[in-house]
Amino acid sequence: MSVEDFNFEIKEQWCPGCGNFAIEMAVKQALDELKILREETVIVSGIGCSGKTPHYVNTYGFESIHGRILPVASGIKLANHKLTVIGMGGDGDGYGIGMCHFIHSMRRNHDLTYIVHNNEIYGLTTGQTSPTSIKGTKTKSTPQGVIEKPVNPIALAISSGATFVARGFAGELKHLKEIIKAGIEHKGIALVDVFQPCVTFNKVNTYQWWKERIYKLEDEGYKPDNKDKALEKALEDEKTGYKKIPIGIFYREKGPSYEESVKQLEKGTFFEQSKKEVDLRKAYEEMM
Amino acid sequence: MVEFVFRIGGQAGQGANLTGRSMGKVFTRGGYHVVGYPEYPSLIRGGHNVYQVIVGQKKVNSPVQKCDLVIALNKDAIFYHKDSINENGGIIYDSSIDLTQFKLRKDIKLYPVPYMELVKKAGGTARMENTVAMGATLALCGYPLEKLNGVLSDEFARKGEEIIKQNIAVAKAGYDYVIEHHEADKFPVKLKVIKHDKKLFMGGNEAVGMGAIKAGMKIYSAYPMTPASTVMHYLASKEAEYNIAVKHTEDEISAVLYAIGSNYAGVRAMTGTSGGGFALMSEALGMAALAETPIVINVAQRVGPSTGMPTWTEQADLKFVLNASQGDFLRIVLAPGDIKESFFMTAEAFNFADKYQLPVLVLTDKFLAETHFSEEPFEQEKVKIEKGKLITGGLPELEPKKRFKRYEITKDGVSPRPVPGTRGGLHVASSYEHREDSYSTESFSMRAEQVNKRNRKIENILKEMKKPKIYGARDAKVALVCWGSQKLPLLDAVEELKKKGIEVAVVHFSYLFPVDKEKVQEVLSKYEKTIMFENNSTGQYAGVLKEYADIEFDYIVLKYDGRQFFPEQVREVVEELKKEGFKGKNEIIHVNEREDLEYYNPAKYGL
Ligand SMILES: Cc1ncc(C[n+]2csc(CCOP(=O)(O)OP(=O)(O)O)c2C)c(N)n1
Ligand code: SF4
Repeated sequence: MSVEDFNFEIKEQWCPGCGNFAIEMAVKQALDELKILREETVIVSGIGCSGKTPHYVNTYGFESIHGRILPVASGIKLANHKLTVIGMGGDGDGYGIGMCHFIHSMRRNHDLTYIVHNNEIYGLTTGQTSPTSIKGTKTKSTPQGVIEKPVNPIALAISSGATFVARGFAGELKHLKEIIKAGIEHKGIALVDVFQPCVTFNKVNTYQWWKERIYKLEDEGYKPDNKDKALEKALEDEKTGYKKIPIGIFYREKGPSYEESVKQLEKGTFFEQSKKEVDLRKAYEEMM
Repeated sequence: MVEFVFRIGGQAGQGANLTGRSMGKVFTRGGYHVVGYPEYPSLIRGGHNVYQVIVGQKKVNSPVQKCDLVIALNKDAIFYHKDSINENGGIIYDSSIDLTQFKLRKDIKLYPVPYMELVKKAGGTARMENTVAMGATLALCGYPLEKLNGVLSDEFARKGEEIIKQNIAVAKAGYDYVIEHHEADKFPVKLKVIKHDKKLFMGGNEAVGMGAIKAGMKIYSAYPMTPASTVMHYLASKEAEYNIAVKHTEDEISAVLYAIGSNYAGVRAMTGTSGGGFALMSEALGMAALAETPIVINVAQRVGPSTGMPTWTEQADLKFVLNASQGDFLRIVLAPGDIKESFFMTAEAFNFADKYQLPVLVLTDKFLAETHFSEEPFEQEKVKIEKGKLITGGLPELEPKKRFKRYEITKDGVSPRPVPGTRGGLHVASSYEHREDSYSTESFSMRAEQVNKRNRKIENILKEMKKPKIYGARDAKVALVCWGSQKLPLLDAVEELKKKGIEVAVVHFSYLFPVDKEKVQEVLSKYEKTIMFENNSTGQYAGVLKEYADIEFDYIVLKYDGRQFFPEQVREVVEELKKEGFKGKNEIIHVNEREDLEYYNPAKYGL
């Protein structure tokens, strides 16, 4: 197997320079390096520019509806937990319309990797504000500047109980690939928020803008094993007025995933168990 | 034939429902046919709850408006039900209640019983008053206590020997008290054990759950909503025994998507809800249709719109279920009319979903979902598992950079569906219009071909949509027509009408949609007069039949006050129409309660 084996005949239809290319590549490289088979992988997306990704990585895929990546992915995982299930979608998708699922998925801990293409803008709908747009950002839907504060997905994920919380940058492919690999290998929910420059609609958060501000947590000797410290790091961007923005793994915690906690799965996946015939006689007894 | 009707009434929280259900089993085990019908307001405390038990030597199907006995767990029950008592019927009540406040008819027999005193004497503990009342009831109708003892032993098995013993002693105390202090032999109803019987006594929701288990469902994802919640409770109680998972999700959007995800992965899953929750599922319904991922959804209707009257019944979500979500797409709608059909049609729904790769809706309502019926054990070996073009292996290797033709244009409209994990089956299940290999397309010709492909499924589906079933006097001139649960009161009305010399047939639709015009016309054209009965205010299925089968009914009888039809009401309507010679054409008749005592707010009556 090689990275090319994950290619589909279709060429990506994203704007040249879009951060999505690097995210797609990082996922292919991660799958390749981890030697995960194409047929044992499902990529679930929502709707948005980012939502096209399953078509460019030739595995199984589910291009669902806007905001609903996590419940679809969770259902697939619960049905057959031997599959590698990866969610990929936009910030509008995950932190806007899909926020309710986001919080609950973080505390639920299905063994999924959830990659958010965070471009701080709505791409596919031509450039409206996103829940992660920084206060004051002028967009098509907020010509006078965004009034509300942005959501902080890292802090939100940690406080919601997520067991792996990380952030990457589309301008740092190798670093991103390593984070995604760690996310896939993590047993439990892994959030990988990725700064993804939208070169067409986001003229504020450009590659340059992020390059000037980000630094890698591991370069500071940071260890992602302490929730308090993780939260502190998660809030650093806001505290510094977005002058210092950490990337890397903020938090990681070991423990049983949702699937590992479901007793009924001790005998194998539901997929494997589906072949068995059912006898209702005992259930009838109870009703007599 | 109805032999005995009694009602157990009390405040919400006093256990009228559980007590009634136990009594239903007591008579079922003695060879009777029983219906157990709960009515309760959307309250956890306060308000009035009642459970009606209808006992017959022959099949009984439906609750009725009158009863022989009221078992009052509090004084409100006397107030609410005194006027429904048949001549020479009676009331069992706690001796401490002062009856002078109620204007009771002279013929009503009074059976005061000191509930708590008897509990204490028999060594029982608080909350066993209902058991006293059960014993007292059996004494009145001359039915042996042993059947009750058996039920108590089973119901309290988990609580241990001591509790069982106490309950049996308490029941006996109630029984003995009535024999000693009242003229039990004069009570007009007498029932003996016909045979020692082993029938089921259970509700529509439990039958839906059992049908799903039998069909091999592994995941039930749902969000609580009356009257669908007891499907969830039932299945959750069976998690360990049948190795299934019930997932209580964050909302109905998530619930339906979990199930769709699971079905995509080749594992049968279902969700269930009521109208409000189904509204939230609408967008996903269309996704399942376009991605051609099977999904079974149980919609248990209640009174709408919006929160409406949550614990009461209606058939008003039919058109919503038929039309929910944007775009044109095919779906199958099934509406079982009893618990047996609830069981088999739910199991069948999974086959339809897998074979035709589309949404299948099992439409029930509060009345069917929560009413208990006695029934022979379902012949489970009749359930066959058919998964259609599901593929789990044996595919050739794909060419580099190619995908499997998941949405291949086929003659029957159904394309092969490999599940993840299958080598050679790579594809993307997509909510976008797509070409055969599942990549998105905006090609006009491919779009049209894919729409036609999906629509072609209807040909084979129509072959599987069974004709409406005919009951009663098949060859009568007049047919009472209905769908879903309203079959039940109509069947009992047929018997009543027969006694009055009026012969009618009942035509019952359960395979609601898609409509096979020829089959429907063939059945209905046999009758000179057709009268549709619907539990909604607009005649929704009559409208559907007009649109799809060119059917016009002579009368459409509508009830939408929160309750299903009662057999008596059906009989009265038909008698009236007969008197005027059935000369109506497209006439609409409304049958709603004009005056009543509402359970929600006893304080309004000074209680
Ligand atoms: C229910 C619903 N509402 C709105 C839309 C329209 N819509 C499509 S993508 C999108 C937002 C895109 O932004 P984001 O999720 O951040 O993804 P991006 O395009 O930036 O990758 C919206 C609002 C939709 N498809 N469905
Ligand atoms: S609009 Fe933005 S997010 Fe979408 S493809 Fe272009 S650059 Fe990428």
